[in-house]
Amino acid sequence: MIAVFAVLACITLLSAFGVVISRSVVHSALFMAGAFLGVAGFYVMLHSPALAALQVLIYVGAVTVVILFGIMFTQKPQARRFRMILNRQVWGGFVVAAGVAAILIYVFLEQDWGGTSPGHGPRLVAQLGRILVGTGGAPQIFGLLFEVSSVLLLVATVAAIVISRRRPERPTERGGE
Amino acid sequence: MIPLQAYLIVAALMFALGAWGVTIRRNAVVVFMCVELMINAVNLTLVAFSDYLPKAHGAGSGYAVVVIAIAAAEVAVGLAIVIAVFRTRRTVNIDEIDSMKG
Repeated sequence: MIAVFAVLACITLLSAFGVVISRSVVHSALFMAGAFLGVAGFYVMLHSPALAALQVLIYVGAVTVVILFGIMFTQKPQARRFRMILNRQVWGGFVVAAGVAAILIYVFLEQDWGGTSPGHGPRLVAQLGRILVGTGGAPQIFGLLFEVSSVLLLVATVAAIVISRRRPERPTERGGE
Repeated sequence: MIPLQAYLIVAALMFALGAWGVTIRRNAVVVFMCVELMINAVNLTLVAFSDYLPKAHGAGSGYAVVVIAIAAAEVAVGLAIVIAVFRTRRTVNIDEIDSMKG
């Protein structure tokens, strides 16, 4: 168990580091898929196989492909030097990120979480489904959140099409459009 | 048995790496990837709480599903904006994109 945890932590954190530091944008996208796979492994360890399947389907599948399409549409000659891909705040940003990590770890370790023991999550898909519609012990607000997020997905799909559509050139330019 | 804190520390380090990438990278698409890393780190904490806290009744997993849906919507709209910006300004370098019009 501990060996599996260590391997997954190494995969996730090294892939996340690779996203930040790799010179090629495509390599960043592939490292990101690796980090998502590591998180999916953590979900399996946390007794949530349904969420792990969702993670693989949505993140490793859909989000990575969408981001690869975005890279293809905005391709430039590859930058070979770090000065080209990083801005001037490398070490300032590192200090900020290290501070964030230190504060988060301090809070997580100092907080008294009470009696924690693994195995309380919704292991079956039916339990997860009951949580999502607001029954089964979880807060009833999930029924509303479920409906709102479905409307949000529809709006986001229409918005993505409208924003990225290629507009026909018009002879008379009107403001705003 | 692996303690709850181990998962939380991995998630905190992942969140910090994502925040570092958001602050230092120049390419807008890579900034999106780092935001996704941060969202995944938060999801990991939510699922860990859902599994380890008995009184949560699995609420963290429900929140994780909602967060995944919202992150998917964010990626779709965000990349559409990046493509629209690239079409008008021919660059995705966020140091050069400093106006909202034209």
